Amino acid sequence: MPEPLEVLLLDDEPIVGRRLKPALAKIGCAVEVFENPEKALARLQEKEFKIVVTDIRMDDIDGMQVLEFVRERWPESKVIMITGYAMMSLAREAMEKGAFDFIAKPFKPDDLRRVIAKAARALGYTLDFEAAAPEGG
Amino acid sequence: MSLIAISADSYPQGLDIAQRTAAALGYGLLGRELLAQVAADRGLPQEQLVQALEETPGFFGMRTRRQQELLLHIQAACLERLLADNLVCYGLGAHLYLVGVSHALRVRVLAEPQQRAAELAALRGLPPERAAKLLERQDQERRRWSSQFFQADEMDPAQYDMVLSLGNLEPEKAVEIICDAAGYRKFQAMTYSRKCLQDKALAARVLAKLMPRFPDIRLQASDGTVVAQVQSLKRDQRKKQEAVRELASQVPGVSYVEVQVIRDYFGQAAQSGR
Repeated sequence: MPEPLEVLLLDDEPIVGRRLKPALAKIGCAVEVFENPEKALARLQEKEFKIVVTDIRMDDIDGMQVLEFVRERWPESKVIMITGYAMMSLAREAMEKGAFDFIAKPFKPDDLRRVIAKAARALGYTLDFEAAAPEGG
Repeated sequence: MSLIAISADSYPQGLDIAQRTAAALGYGLLGRELLAQVAADRGLPQEQLVQALEETPGFFGMRTRRQQELLLHIQAACLERLLADNLVCYGLGAHLYLVGVSHALRVRVLAEPQQRAAELAALRGLPPERAAKLLERQDQERRRWSSQFFQADEMDPAQYDMVLSLGNLEPEKAVEIICDAAGYRKFQAMTYSRKCLQDKALAARVLAKLMPRFPDIRLQASDGTVVAQVQSLKRDQRKKQEAVRELASQVPGVSYVEVQVIRDYFGQAAQSGR
């Protein structure tokens, strides 16, 4: 049985984690969900997650800080940014800082699965998700 | 993995930069050849499409509404092609409708003013001073054109990611700078920017379909959902909503249409005064 892909999911809205955790588990991801950015950073300090999915706008610590932390601590990890406040300048900033992808909320679980499958391929993993067949980008 | 939209104050010099950039990056070049395809696919006169891209709306020119419709057809076709990525686009006004698409690098190329005047003088057989004056007028008209149809001043450097002056840079160097910038991570395509482009393409397709019948229509598209706003008299409201919904639904890619009606109070007043 292939090793599960370890994913850390950070969003201060509990519904996001509740909804996405089972959706990602279905394609072979082992997901740890956090609503508190400080706790997520503490966990990221001690453990490498292959993929980090983080909301951008949160209290105290924002997603850009999480991105910078992960890029510094675990340069191989892929960081996917999600936000309800998407705009061009923010998207460009995230990409410039090394985000793997940037998704505007609301999105369907399949949209995130597709991006995670792409990140997994970039890491050398294969996920069981036919809908996430290779596409441009 | 990006798009480059080049705009220039001299068509031949901008075209040269666009061609060289596409060749240097191995990208495709999307230019005015597209107009032949648009004309054939949509049964439109090609010369009018060129005119729509170049002519300032005015009393003796093309009707504003017609020009807007033609520009929408060009926009829809161009955005459709740009979904393919790795393209340099020139001469189709794309720099004005790719606003907000983060993987589109928008570049303004400025020709050396004297050379530009000399080009025009040679083309029209004018003395240099008259050519320079004519250029000033053309620039003002270009401003009016972009403001009228895209609510943006094409001459404003703030509209671009980069402005390059060929008075100070050799074309080779300008191309090198553009190619270098195209490689920046911030201009890479991502899920969000692809979606922005898809939504813009769909909105343009639907608008091109609806505008001839509903010239005051405004709309937005997202993930196949179209939200349209149309003016109507109270008594025509339902009929108009149905008509908009039916027409918009015929456009491939549209899954749901919501039509919001804005009450046409002037029309209402005119009707009740009869």
